[in-house]
Amino acid sequence: MPKHHHRRHGSGIDGKNFIILPILFSAIILISCYIYISVAASSLISLASLFFSDRESDFSESYTNIYVPVAETSDSSRDERETIPISSVTYPHVGEQFGELIIEDCQISDKLFFGDGTIPLNNGVGIYNGSFIPGYGKTILVAGHNNTYFNGLKYAEKGQKVKIRTSYGNYVYEITDIQVKKATDTSAYDLAANYENLIMYTCYPFDELGLTPYRCFVYAMPVSGPAFDKNS
Amino acid sequence: MSNSKSNHSVIKSVLYSVLSFFLAVSLFFLGIACIVKFSLFSQDFMMNAMASQGYSAMIQDELKSDLKNLGHASGLTDEFVDKFVDSLDISGVEYDYVKAFYSGDNTLVDTATFKQQLYAALDQYVIDTGMDPEKVSQENVDYLVEKATSIYVNDVSIPFFSTIANYVYKYDGPLTILIAGLAVFAAIIAFLIIFTNEFVHRRYRYLCYSFTTTALSLAVIPTVVFVSGYITKIGIATRSLYNLFVSYFSSFFMYFYFASAVFAVAAIICFLVFYKRYKRITGHHSHH
Repeated sequence: MPKHHHRRHGSGIDGKNFIILPILFSAIILISCYIYISVAASSLISLASLFFSDRESDFSESYTNIYVPVAETSDSSRDERETIPISSVTYPHVGEQFGELIIEDCQISDKLFFGDGTIPLNNGVGIYNGSFIPGYGKTILVAGHNNTYFNGLKYAEKGQKVKIRTSYGNYVYEITDIQVKKATDTSAYDLAANYENLIMYTCYPFDELGLTPYRCFVYAMPVSGPAFDKNS
Repeated sequence: MSNSKSNHSVIKSVLYSVLSFFLAVSLFFLGIACIVKFSLFSQDFMMNAMASQGYSAMIQDELKSDLKNLGHASGLTDEFVDKFVDSLDISGVEYDYVKAFYSGDNTLVDTATFKQQLYAALDQYVIDTGMDPEKVSQENVDYLVEKATSIYVNDVSIPFFSTIANYVYKYDGPLTILIAGLAVFAAIIAFLIIFTNEFVHRRYRYLCYSFTTTALSLAVIPTVVFVSGYITKIGIATRSLYNLFVSYFSSFFMYFYFASAVFAVAAIICFLVFYKRYKRITGHHSHH
C-alpha cells in the first residue's frame, strides 16, 4: 500500500532529480548562450580580445638598470674603430637604463635609457626607440627635458665632446652642429641614415616659462667606440 | 489501465520538467537583466566603484606626474604642479562628468575652470619666482596652458565611456520593459506549475528544479570569468583606469553570485516545503 501511494505522489523524493536535472538544464542554457554569443558576437569578441594581454599590467615607476661600466680604452681615430660581435651585445629593452651620457663642457652627466617615455625622461635622457643604440652604425636620437637633464644643452658648442658609456663599450662623439627647428620638422633628423650619427634634442627656449613647438637639436658625429660586427 | 495511468504520469512529469526548464530560462535572463540594470546601467554603481578605489586621488596623482613632466619642458617646478593640482576639485569634476553621461547630457570635460585656475596660478608663479613679466612670452604661456589642458582632459576622461554611456542612456527604458516582460513570463509559468498540479508537494519540486538551475547557471558565469583571470589582464595604460575597470567588473560579476545566492535560498526553501509535504502525504497514507 505505501508503495502504491509513493508512485501516485511521484517516484519518491528521488534526490537524483534534484541534482541531475538542474545540472542538465543549466548546461543546456549555458551551452546555448555560449554558441549564440560566439556566433552572433564573434567579431565583437575578437575585438575585445585585443584589449587583453596574457599578464597583469605593471604600473611600477621603477626601472631596470643593465648598465655595468667597462674600463676606458685608449682613444682610437674614427678610421680605426674597433668592432665587437653584435651577438655579444645585450640589446636593451624599452625603459631600461643601459648607459650614461656625459658632456663635460655642458655640465651634463645623465643616465641613458632606451626609450623616451615618462620614466626615462624623469630619471635621465632616453633614446627614441625608433632609432638605434651606439655602435649600430645608424642614427641615435636622444631626448631629454630642457628644464632638467638636458638643461646644459644651452651651453652646447661645435667641437665639444659627448661621451656615451655602455656595458659593451665607451663611445665619444663630437658636436658638429646646433639648430633650432620645429618639432614637426622631419628634416631635423634622418632615422634611415646608414652612418652613425648622434642627435640630442630638447624643448626650446631654455629657462623660460612656457612651451613652444620649437626644439633645440644638437648634432654629433662618432670619434671613437666599438662598432657592431653584424656578420658575427 | 494501470499502464495508461503510468504513461499519463510520465507525460505529466516530462511536461512539468519542461515547464520548470522554461521557468529557469526566464529567471536566468531576468536575473541577468536585473544585474545589468542595477550595475552597468546605474550611476551609483559607477560612483561606488570610483569611491572604493579612490579614483579621484589616483587621477590627481597621475595628473601631477603628467604635468610635472610637462613642467620639466616648460619652466615649472614640481612644487608648483603639486600645489596647483591640489587646488583642483578633481572629484567634483569627475562627479559632473559621470553624471552627464548617465543623464544623456554633453559628455565633454569642462576645461574652462581648469584654464582659468592655471592662468591665475602661472601669474602668481611669475611673481613668486621673481621673473620679469615683460620677458614672459604670452604666446608660449598660452601654448603651455593648451598642452596642460589637453593632459587634464586626457586624464579625467574615461575612454570609450561616451560610447558605452550613450547605449546606457538609450537602452535603459527598453531594459526596464524587458525585465517586466521576463517577470510576467516567469510568473505565468510559475502559475501553470503551481495551479495545474494536483499535489502541492509537486509544485515545490518543479519550482525547486527551476530555482536550482537558475542559481547554478548564474554562479557559473562569474566563476568562469574569475578563474580565467581575464578581468585583471585588461591592457589599460593608467593605474587609475585599470583599478576602476577591475573594481567595476569585479563588482558586476559579484552581483551574479548575489543573485545566485537568492535563487539558491529559494530552491532550498522549496525543497524543504516539498520534503515536508511529501512526508506528510506518504505518512498519512501509510497510517491508513
